[in-house]
This record gives sequence, C-alpha cells and structure tokens, in this order.
Amino acid sequence: MPPLRAPWRYLLPFALLAGTIARAQEPGETIEVEGERPKGSPRAPAAAGTVIDTAQFGGEVRSVAEMLLASPGVSVHALGGPGQATTLSLRGASADQSVVLLDGIPLQGPGGGAVDLSTLPATLLDRMVISRGVLGAQFGAGALGGAVELLPRTGRQTWSGGAELSGGSFGTGRLALDAAMPAGNGTAVVALQGDRTDGTFEYARQLTPEIPGSPSYGFTRENADSTRGSGLLRISQDLGGDLGVDLLLQGSGGLRGLPGPSSAPTPRSRELDESGVGGVRLRGGAGDVGWSVRASGRLDRVELRGVRSFGDCDDGAPDCPRDDQRSSNVGAEGELAIALGEANALQLRLAGGADRIHGSGTGAHQRGVLSASIRDDAALPANFSLHPALRFDSIGADAGLSPALTAAWKPAAKHPLTLRAGWGLSFRAPTFSELYLERGGIAANPDLRPEHAWSVDAGAEWRTGLLTLSASAFWSSYRELILYQLFPPAQVKPFNVGEARIAGLELQAVVPLPARFLASLSYSFLDAVNRLDGHKLAYRPPHRLFARLARQGERVEGYGEVSFTSALPRNAFDTAFVGSQVLLNAGAGVRAAGPVWIDVEAKNLLDDRTYEDLFQYPLPGLSIAVIARARL
Amino acid sequence: MKKLALLTLVAACGGKYQAPPPVSSIALPDGSQLKPYDPSKPGKARPQGLEQAAGRVYVTLSNQRDTDSFPVNAGPGFLAAFVASTGAITLVDLGGADGQQCQNPGFVRASADGRLYTPCSGDFSGTDTARAIVEVDPVANAVTRRAAIPAGRVPNGVAITANKIWTGDAFSTTVFSIDKSSFSADASDPVPVDCAKSVFSYVADVMAIRGGLYALCGSDISGELYQLNPDTGAVLAHVTVGPNPTELAGLDDGRIAVVNAGDNTLSLVTSSSAGLTAQKALTFSSETAALQDVRAFGHILFTAASGSNTAQRIDLDAPGGPKVIGEANFGPGSGPYNILPLDDTQAIVSNRGTNTIAAANWVTVK
Repeated sequence: MPPLRAPWRYLLPFALLAGTIARAQEPGETIEVEGERPKGSPRAPAAAGTVIDTAQFGGEVRSVAEMLLASPGVSVHALGGPGQATTLSLRGASADQSVVLLDGIPLQGPGGGAVDLSTLPATLLDRMVISRGVLGAQFGAGALGGAVELLPRTGRQTWSGGAELSGGSFGTGRLALDAAMPAGNGTAVVALQGDRTDGTFEYARQLTPEIPGSPSYGFTRENADSTRGSGLLRISQDLGGDLGVDLLLQGSGGLRGLPGPSSAPTPRSRELDESGVGGVRLRGGAGDVGWSVRASGRLDRVELRGVRSFGDCDDGAPDCPRDDQRSSNVGAEGELAIALGEANALQLRLAGGADRIHGSGTGAHQRGVLSASIRDDAALPANFSLHPALRFDSIGADAGLSPALTAAWKPAAKHPLTLRAGWGLSFRAPTFSELYLERGGIAANPDLRPEHAWSVDAGAEWRTGLLTLSASAFWSSYRELILYQLFPPAQVKPFNVGEARIAGLELQAVVPLPARFLASLSYSFLDAVNRLDGHKLAYRPPHRLFARLARQGERVEGYGEVSFTSALPRNAFDTAFVGSQVLLNAGAGVRAAGPVWIDVEAKNLLDDRTYEDLFQYPLPGLSIAVIARARL
Repeated sequence: MKKLALLTLVAACGGKYQAPPPVSSIALPDGSQLKPYDPSKPGKARPQGLEQAAGRVYVTLSNQRDTDSFPVNAGPGFLAAFVASTGAITLVDLGGADGQQCQNPGFVRASADGRLYTPCSGDFSGTDTARAIVEVDPVANAVTRRAAIPAGRVPNGVAITANKIWTGDAFSTTVFSIDKSSFSADASDPVPVDCAKSVFSYVADVMAIRGGLYALCGSDISGELYQLNPDTGAVLAHVTVGPNPTELAGLDDGRIAVVNAGDNTLSLVTSSSAGLTAQKALTFSSETAALQDVRAFGHILFTAASGSNTAQRIDLDAPGGPKVIGEANFGPGSGPYNILPLDDTQAIVSNRGTNTIAAANWVTVK
C-alpha cells in the first residue's frame, strides 16, 4: 500500500483549476449553458445508461478507456501505460461479457472476445453510449454486463475540421486530423489519428513486501513503446425520396512492445495488430414504416513476436516462431421499424453472417451466426412506457433466447423525474479463443458451454437541461461462467465452473455551474460474490469514484479530476488484495489565437509510481502533456 | 505557485527512488552442457529441487526447452552438485546410456543412509519411458539404480521410508511405492489420497517425516494432508489444509508446515493420537505470489514464492505467533522454486526463471 498522503494533495488539481476560475470571470466572456444532455441508447430504452460526449475532453489527451471512466458501472483494466492493452468491465462482468459496437457494428478481439480499447482511436468518436445490465435482447448474446456503443464523427453540410497535436512525458505524442464536408447529396467525414509513446516511465516496487516499511526501489519500464495509426471515413448520401445510404470504414494498425509484468519482464516480446471495420447501410421509410439493410465486415489480425509460454525469446530465431492470428466476421442485417398508432413502435431485426478465425494457436474455425429480434416501445396511460424485447441468437452450435422487459414512468410528460426498472436474461457463447486457443500455457476446451445470466435493476433519474442526477441498483446472477483454471502441470484451461452473484449501486451527477463550469461525479458500488464458496470475486473493485470539475469557456478552459478505485481482491479466497488507487489529473488551456488552443495537462499529479494493474503491470507516475488544437 | 511548479518538475524528472540492489547468483549449466537431443535446440537448466548430501548442495535440472506452447524436454535430466565454498558444479547425468531413462526431474531427497532419490516426470504423458525414480550415490556422483514407473502414472514427490520409496501421481490423487530392495514398483494398487476439487486435483508431494509418511493432495479449491502407514500406505489420518497446497516440511517438534498457494497462507498441522489437526498460522502479504516451497530449520521456516521472486524467513516462536522476520528478493523473472536452509539464518534457492542458484540476502524486520 502506498503511504498515506497529506489530504491537501488530493485537492491539488482543483487548486490548479482555481486559476482558471479566476480567469473565467474576465469581462467580456460569454457565460452560457446550452443544449440538453443526450439520453441513453435508442436500442435499450429505459435501461441504465450514460452518454459520454467526447468533446467535453477537448484539450486533454484521452484514450477511449479513460473517457469511459466517467461513467458509473465501468471498470477498465489497463496492462500498463499508454498504448498498452486495455479491457472493459461493466457491472463486474468480464471483458468478454461486454459488447462493444462501432456505429452499430459489433467489434471483437482477435480471439473473438474482449475488445482491446487501446486500439480504438478516441478522437474519431463523437459520443459513447454505455448501457448497463443483461442486455442480450437489445444488443445480442454476449451483453451480460452491458454494451458500449461508439458513435463516430458525423458529417456536416458545411466544411468544418479540426487538428490536434500533443506531446509529453515518456515520448508520448498524438496527431489527429478530421474534416467534415458536404459531398454529393450528403455529407462526408474523414478523420485520422496517430499515436506513439516510448513508454519508458519510471516505476517503483517494494522488493520485500513482507517487511513493514521496507523501501521501494526504482525501475525503468522497458519495451512498453507503442505506435498506432487509425483512420475513419464516413459518407452519407441521400438517394432521393426517403432513401439514403451510409458508408463507414474504420481501420487501425499498431506495433507495440509487450513488457510483461514487473515480476517477470519480457523485453523481447512485441505485438503487431491490424483491424478494419466496414459497413454500408441502405435506409428508407414511408409513412409509419422505416427500414434499413446493412452489410458489414470486420477483420482483425494480431501477430505476436518473441512471445513464449513462459517469458520471451528472440524474434526470428528458429525456435521462436511468430504467432499470427486472424479473425473476421461478415454479416448482413435488416431492420424494420413500424409505428402502430400513437402508442406502439415495433422494431424487428434479422441478421446473419459468419465468424471465422485462423491462427497458429487456434487452427482454422468458422461458425455461422444468426439472430432475430423484436422489441416494442409501448406508451401506456399515466406516462408509463413499457419496452418488451425478445431476441434469438444462434452462434455455431449454441443457441438461445434472450428476453427482456424494461419500463419507465414519469409524473408528467415533461417532468424531469423518470423512474425506471428492467429485467433481462441472456447467454454468452464461448469465444474462439476459449474453445480453441492452445498457446503460451493456455489450453483449449472445445467442450465449453455458453454462460448464462439474468439481472434486474431499478433506478431514478432527474434531468433538466444539462443537470442529470441518477441512481440505479441492480442484482445479477451468473451461472456456468467460463473461468480459466490451473491445469496441471503448468497450464490454464477454461471451464464452465463459475457461479456468481453481483449486486451494486450506481450514482451519477452532472451539474452545470455558473461561469460555464460543469461538475460531474460517478460512483459505483459492487458486491461480487462467488456463489459456490461465498468468497468475493477477484479483480472487482467494491468502490469506484470519479469526480471532475471542468470549464469550457471561449478563452480559458481547464479541468481537475480525481479517480478512486478501492482495494480489490487479487485471489479467489479473500486473502490477497490489490491496493486502492487515487489518481489526480488536472489541465488548463487558453485560446492562443483564433481557433488555436494551447493546453497543458498533468496526470497522476501525486506522482505515485507504485501503482500496478491487476496483473502486476506498472502504471506510470506523473506525466505532463502539452496539447495544441484548433477547430474550424 | 512557482514552488509548486518546481516540485512538479523535479518529480517528473525522476530520482525519487534508489536503484534496486544487485543480486548475486550462480548460473547453472545450460545449452550444450546439458546434452541436448538436438544440438540446434538446446534446453535450459530450469532448476527445481534442492537437497544437501556429501557436503554438497544438489539441485535437479529439468533441462527443458521453451516452445510457444508447453515446455518440452530437450535432453536428459540432471543433478547439479554444487560446492558452496568453491562454487564448483559437477553434473550428474540421470538419463542413462541412451539419455532417455530420466527426463524432467523435479524433486530430490536424501535417505537416512545418504543416498539421493529423484522422481523423473518425463513428458507428463504417463506413457513415456523417461519416467523413473533414480537413485544416486552422492559420494561418487553416479546413478546407482533406476526404477521404471508403471504406465499411466507420472511421479511427483518422493519419500524414502525404511522399506519403500513412495511417490505421488501428478495426474491423479494416488500414491504408490517402489520396493527399496528390488527397486521396482510394487504391484499393489495405488493408495487414494483425495481432496475436494472443482477442476483439478493431484498429489503435490509425499514426504517422510520423523519415521512417518505424509502425502499432500492439492486442488484448485482445497488441500488435504494425509498421514499414511510407511509400509502399506494405509491411511492413518487426514486433515484439510488450505487451497492448492504446494509443499510441506517437518518441524523438530513434530508439527508439519504446509504452504497453500491458493490463499497465500501457511498451515501448521499437529499430529496426535486423535489424528491430525490444522490451523492457519500465517497469511502472507498480498504481493507474495505463487508459494512453491517450505523448509524448516528448528523453529525457523523458509518459504519460496516464484510469482513474487521472493523467499521468506519465518519465526514460529515470535511473540503473537508465527511472523515473517526476513525476506529476500532474487530479481525480476528469477522465479525461485525451491529453498534449502543451510542454518537458521542462511538459505539458498533454485531460480527456475533465470536458471541460477542464489543465496538469500535477508532484509530483516527491525
């Protein structure tokens, strides 16, 4: 555990922000709050949800994972510093149990499971919508913790664009460019993002942790560099009448070191990854009927170099072959929306396709995927709304139904208060990796069965303009969980052996303040229990708090934030824990000339270099970045 | 504000922490010294078990080559005899004339008459001929006898009793014996030593302690210590210890110490006419990971944890109960697997990760 710091240090980012507060009240500045905070996902009405507008992080070097931390119910697991693999957990579910969609197209990792958030370019996104709960009926089998919808930048009827250049500690830099323009009978947007980092940060470890007060020693993180390029093209065209067509192409490629845990570094292991997503959608409608059909495809490739089951090796040596793994998906879907009078809106969706994987660790496999779903959005008397949904998914040999029912009530049509409740039941089919991956001390298990879960939740929300106050409580039950277990003599293998109960509480407040300040706070409580033995589930933080005070003015901007994660179990027997972590970040910027802003931000202001992730990957201490950006 | 900015800059430039102290170790033979079957694919020493005999320290060398999946045996198993005072190392080839009669030795234990015995686990298939119990004369540093292992069993652990040599099965929860005179496997059925499991269970070790025979069953969720008749293997008593126990050690007061890797704890087991009773004596730090070994010297215990690259020195008589009073770290990636006390303040470890042996330089509680 890091030594307790003086309490005043926790106030440091807010003290720094005080400077911008003073400047914010300079004469001549416009102070106004506009607009209304967008609501949740239209695919999951009345589900617990949070919308994150990426524009609120302008002037900050943010990854997708860092932005998601602003939402309650979200935990991210980062394997080290910038550019390293990062996965998502919603409501204590595993990364494989969280669905991530880019403009409605499901993303998957190379093994068919968890998405590495570090490969997703943050500046190409407009918004992120987080929906929490067992939402298989709304988002498809696999959404046992919920879903994150990534909404990319959209085109405009006038030319606009932006550029961002940043550089800072550990040789970290980013260049991002985007342009939106009219094109033909519609719009187009092009966006590019390049990131790099040397990753050579200093960290500290106690070498003899059993000895109270023994010193921490300094180390330099090696082989943690990362270089990544990403691009997005989105075109929308009106074809006359109510017809329209949308094209989306997104690609990302990167090369990074795989530094390994601090207890067993791997200075020679590298990873090359490439991914691409494409989709074309034709949409139309007439009267009370709207429809769309879409074809989409996804390709992911990961090549591991110098990676061994226990340690690393020299890439290119005869006994150190590269491990190339590719996965892909092609699919088509059709959606029909029918308004049945004033009170009912029916959504019908039919989708089919195929998942494929090919790699030296998995062999070649493919499976068909088919889904059909129906949902009704019913407006009932007395301002009740009801949203029953049912979805059938067939994934290879596994098939099942996912029913859900959510409901909402408002005292009056325009009343700021909404009470909501929901129930959902679904399953997750085993990933290709779980079924077939034989590599690096991991054994395959082709006999795995799907996981199953159901959850119930209820909450209240008060929303007026930018003010949002919400609270949700949930209770989830999981069975036949796929868990990797030690498999003698020296492997781990996935088995359907887990049963869990996860309950929790989520609070969120977004409060507009005078002088264009915005305060936001999210808090999550998790009680995750192994139902077989009563022990806590490992790696689930019972408490997580995120608080932020930000100002976005016309000349001056700034923010200060604190992110707290409580101690969490490291093993399955409640006897080992990862210590609590407090991260303070702050930044401030000014409009230097015209549309050009210059910002400075500092992360981990306490410079605590003893933090590690769940698997002993060190996290960086204090880092400073300078960001220049312009938007026309 | 200027002061704050200066402090921030100083902090950002590093220098807060000292560099880690150097760790001295002795490299074990590697590569061509270990008679690889294919010279282009040599193995690493991958040291494991430690024992003292004839004034030397003996360490088993698994001699394995890493692959992108499971490590494979690159050559015959070896014992390395190490003279602490000179650092000289002598290799004892356990593989026989064809090099195939012992692969992947893990444990090594000395009998009362000074002989060394090591079980060779082969390729873990349970069908290969490289599975054996090998007897070594430490004076001559030569293999004297070899007992083949019946098909379907993979020896794990070794206990030398008056008339038998006992070993456990790495893939089932049974123990079986080798007749000490004929040096061949007894025809009697293996003895079950089960423990509750969710996914896997196996025999972590067998050990002769003060004339008795003990077997340790380990699983993903539990562990059970058995007391067996040293001649017949009949179960005399058993007691539940912690989850996934990995090793045991006899104390001079009759108690038995067990390290439980699953929950990072130490159990102390007491034997009486009523049977065995166990109590959790210590929970290790959250940063201590993958407890692999425990040895005793009087009332001082020594433990090794490969996941945290550490070894601990524990005083069982400390006020308030057993307490870690010293700890050593052998460096990133070292993976200390076994520990051998030389006295109550000194111990050496076999580092499976870095293929070295090293002496513990204790950081002691003040």
